[in-house]
Amino acid sequence: MKGLVLAGGTGSRLRPITHTGPKQLVPVANKPVIQYGIEDLREAGITEIGIILGDKGREEIQSFLGDGSGFGVDITYIIQGEPLGLAHAAACARDFVGDDDFVMYLGDNIFKRGLTEMVERYETGEYAASIALQHVDTPRQFGIANVDDEGTVTELIEKPDEPPTDLALVGVYLFSPAIFDAIDELEPSWRGELEITDAIQSLIEDGHAIDSHVVDGWWKDTGKPEDIIGANRLVLEDIEATNDGEVHPDADLTGRVDVGAGTTIESGAVIRGPVRLGENVTVGPDSYIGPYTAIGDDSTVAGPHIENSVVVGKSELTADTRLVDCLLGRGANITSADGLLPEGNRLVVGENSNLKL
Amino acid sequence: MRVETHTCPNCGTVVAANVLERDRRLRCPGLDCGEILDFTDLSEEVREHYETNRDRYRID
Repeated sequence: MKGLVLAGGTGSRLRPITHTGPKQLVPVANKPVIQYGIEDLREAGITEIGIILGDKGREEIQSFLGDGSGFGVDITYIIQGEPLGLAHAAACARDFVGDDDFVMYLGDNIFKRGLTEMVERYETGEYAASIALQHVDTPRQFGIANVDDEGTVTELIEKPDEPPTDLALVGVYLFSPAIFDAIDELEPSWRGELEITDAIQSLIEDGHAIDSHVVDGWWKDTGKPEDIIGANRLVLEDIEATNDGEVHPDADLTGRVDVGAGTTIESGAVIRGPVRLGENVTVGPDSYIGPYTAIGDDSTVAGPHIENSVVVGKSELTADTRLVDCLLGRGANITSADGLLPEGNRLVVGENSNLKL
Repeated sequence: MRVETHTCPNCGTVVAANVLERDRRLRCPGLDCGEILDFTDLSEEVREHYETNRDRYRID
């Protein structure tokens, strides 16, 4: 079995963070989102992986993943170009996949429990495909599956007015090569894309068996800033306390705090886990880092109260202020305006930024 | 819908035919690969299909 990770898209909902890089490299708990997918595939025994790239951010993703050897996998890059739909992305991988089955994984999704159980179940049956599902509170906003008592999919409906179930399609699919013939017969949808749900529905109508797997634990699509912060919170729930840095005896750490190499926590700093600090971070006196915060490498926190936030890295946070539910891009600095006249905030803010002061 | 690709002979990066049709001639998108890829690397029949159906492979 091979793997396919979709890493195209423009990341428009994550601007301004994605003005300078692809959404798949935005960190969750200090690890780029796409790395979670690569690791899930590897843990499921899948090491031949194709990465689908669009027009944006492809150099950065290739620089990060390289040939895959650093992650224990073998990577082939596939350039889709314009975002012509998930089915088009799959079809671009036809030569790469060959006669194998394959997992298609959306590169901005994170799953708590990985793929192993889903892959094992698929391999025990004679299925043309398997889809991952999760119960949702708002089924009208999702592609919804109808399934029988055995979990075999009987129908897929995109954003139904009257949903037959609350089982939404989430970002993992398993396919046999039969999917390529179904895609050959597709026409673009009203939005000009080849829809993977149309291809799966076509398999169903042609009499193929489609399995489903209801995902245990959480699943997050990290397409928006609040999703990144939410995923960060969920991942930090499971971290363990480690200390590869220097913690002053008079610093106050409680809960699970993961301290990276070269990081210094000075006397008087207060940290309440779960918190992850990257490498070469300095946390100064009178600073408070509260639960569900990840601070990226080469950052300084000296003065603020920050919690439930993601700091990508190389930031200087020295203002005596409270920062809650923040997503700060690389190199973003928040320093004090005290003593400056006329009084007031000094902001240099990029396009599509959001500030609540 | 028909989907064709071309594989870089130097680094193995796969490029969708719609990218070649759009850009016509490009340096291989594979990192550090200097290979020049050209729309004419595709067969005449594939080229004709993509030129005839250009609008279906573009998102405005």
